[in-house]
Amino acid sequence: MEGLNKAQNGAAVLFCSMLFSFVLIGTVQNAYGADSEAVSGKKIYEERCQICHGEKGDGKGLASNMRRMEKSGRILKVTPRDFTRGVFRFRSTATGCMPADADLLRLVDVGITRSFMPGHKDELKPEEKKAVIEHIKTFSNRWKDEAPCDPIPVKKPSWVGSKSSVEKGRIIYKKMKCWECHGDDGKGGGPKADKIKDDWGAPIPPFNFTVGALKRGGTPEDVYITYTSGLDGTGMPSYEDSLNEQDRWNLCSYTLKLMGLVK
Amino acid sequence: MRNRFYFWVLFLSTSVLLIFAIFAAYRAFSPEWADYQAEYKKELVKVVKDEAAKSKARSLPIEIQQMYLADLNGIDRCTSCHIGFDNPLMAKSKVPLKEHSGDYLKVHSAEKFGCTVCHYGQGRATNRKEAHGLGHDTHWDFPIIPAKYLQSACAQCHDAAMLQAKGWDQAAKGEKLVNEKGCRGCHKLNNVGGVLGKALEGVGSKPIAYFPMGAVQGEKTTYSWFKQHFIDPRNLVPESEMKISVTDEEADLLTTYVLSLRAGEMPKQYRRLAITDGAKQPADGETLYKRYCIACHGEGKDSIFDETFNHTVPAIRNPAMLRALDDKNLKKIVSDGRMGTQMTSWKATAAGLPERDIEELVVYLAKNRPAGKPAAFSFPISKADPKHGETIFKMRCALCHGKKGEGGLGLNLRNPVVQAFDPEVLAVTVRDGRKDTPMPPFGKDGVNLKDQDIADVASYVKTLAQRK
Repeated sequence: MEGLNKAQNGAAVLFCSMLFSFVLIGTVQNAYGADSEAVSGKKIYEERCQICHGEKGDGKGLASNMRRMEKSGRILKVTPRDFTRGVFRFRSTATGCMPADADLLRLVDVGITRSFMPGHKDELKPEEKKAVIEHIKTFSNRWKDEAPCDPIPVKKPSWVGSKSSVEKGRIIYKKMKCWECHGDDGKGGGPKADKIKDDWGAPIPPFNFTVGALKRGGTPEDVYITYTSGLDGTGMPSYEDSLNEQDRWNLCSYTLKLMGLVK
Repeated sequence: MRNRFYFWVLFLSTSVLLIFAIFAAYRAFSPEWADYQAEYKKELVKVVKDEAAKSKARSLPIEIQQMYLADLNGIDRCTSCHIGFDNPLMAKSKVPLKEHSGDYLKVHSAEKFGCTVCHYGQGRATNRKEAHGLGHDTHWDFPIIPAKYLQSACAQCHDAAMLQAKGWDQAAKGEKLVNEKGCRGCHKLNNVGGVLGKALEGVGSKPIAYFPMGAVQGEKTTYSWFKQHFIDPRNLVPESEMKISVTDEEADLLTTYVLSLRAGEMPKQYRRLAITDGAKQPADGETLYKRYCIACHGEGKDSIFDETFNHTVPAIRNPAMLRALDDKNLKKIVSDGRMGTQMTSWKATAAGLPERDIEELVVYLAKNRPAGKPAAFSFPISKADPKHGETIFKMRCALCHGKKGEGGLGLNLRNPVVQAFDPEVLAVTVRDGRKDTPMPPFGKDGVNLKDQDIADVASYVKTLAQRK
């Protein structure tokens, strides 16, 4: 009899404590708004993005003082994107266009290598990501005033990375004066490297191909889209008009060689 | 028919053998040193004035010259070719007959010192190629050393002060660079220094096989390796984490210095003054900072994410950090290092820094500490709620410090030294941030979290090491 009583007591205590902890978890979740109310992009932005991108979306958040040192010893200042200008580097759309929603979603999902933008693939639900992207779009009027552009089609030919394509790319690299900024060896030390400024007036060092992947990614498609769309706001122009599609792919082959991805 | 065939085979092979035999005999009876000595005799006859001297020169025997160096346990036959090395009449001749330059032989007599003690090379060899040990097919560990690194030999017996007074200061200059560029932050020397790089003791007399020569340009010698490694370490050792930025001239000075770090000691009677070890002299905090810290931390004012280390190298002279950490905590960090990062443990049993030096360093670092203590929390942090802290951590801190606190842009919070901090230190750091670094204040000066929330985060951070 006594044993049964003990067991009953134990069960009651267990039940009570479980109930209590559920209530506790519930309040905690309410306080930090996981799923209680409608998804608020502003709230997610404040919690996760504001610390770097700033309250006004101007890229001047509390943690914006970031620097990296490359293996070569070159120190790069890492600047969180200023959303108020509505100028974006990593787009699938033509130069001067706003990025597609999918472009922003990709950055939110996977982040940006070698900057300190983390990926949120598993951190946020799809509707939360959508909401925060909508909130980011409130920082600049360009989103309201300009019609969206179509993404640039990317279809990689099979010969990209072949020896003859790399050679053709090498000639284009010379002819189009890529070396003026990126240097003959592709390490970003060309004669004009120190003079380039971005749209915000800050010095922007040209990319050093030998470190491997581009910030947007390391696939041939990523390289091709960079040459086609340009990196708006930086010194990197679009070559959509000055090089035909084939030549851009050849240049991509040579770039892959500089990056050490093909022989 | 058949016999004739064999006759010709035999005839031809015998002829070839004979040619080789004649050639070998010729080489044996007319070695290069004999030619040089014959030339020397001819020149000597030309330059001497009186007939007696001329006939004396003519009667000089042509033979191998050899110096037996009993104290140095060596035999140098270099003078078989460099026959005019001690003859002032040969001052204007060409090498190898030329007289030795300078007045070194006056105080370093050839009978006592020989040649290879300074010049390296193979003293016993009797032809140029083997004696100088150059060329890819010789594989000698100690080929003859070029003039620009020759002063590395002087440091075997002379101390820096004496060499500097004589203008033979290349190795001393190199040593100064080593101590000012923080090389010993990673390299042990005289049992003091970091453990990230290889120890430097005896590195100047290591065999060639010790060095990965694959990517060395030109002659694959120890000195080429050093020079090219100072210019671009990762070109020779791809996985190297070495931090160095030097001019060509500085690379030569450093090369001279490291070549002077030989394993064997010269016999006592050869040495002039004890070789002073800078590390054994009491040094002030600034000197110690330059010697051991500056290579990674620079001026200590900027917190920079380092792609070579894949860690952020913190700004250790940042006033905000010094405000949060008292001397006791600073000393603990310097003594114990940060396991799992490139930061060495500097205590006497690890990197070998005596306690006095660590204290001296802490005093130097703390010079930048602003007056006044950080405001205390109005409640004991130890009673905070780590569970609530976890929720905040995942949202606010994990972006930089990693989901498990393993570090990224931010420091690794699972590190034993961080875990050993009082929760108050952690809470103050979270609240006040580190001004001028990416770590923002999460208190009312920044993100505006409540003190209770901050305390909860701090208490959660203290539990990180126990979590998977």
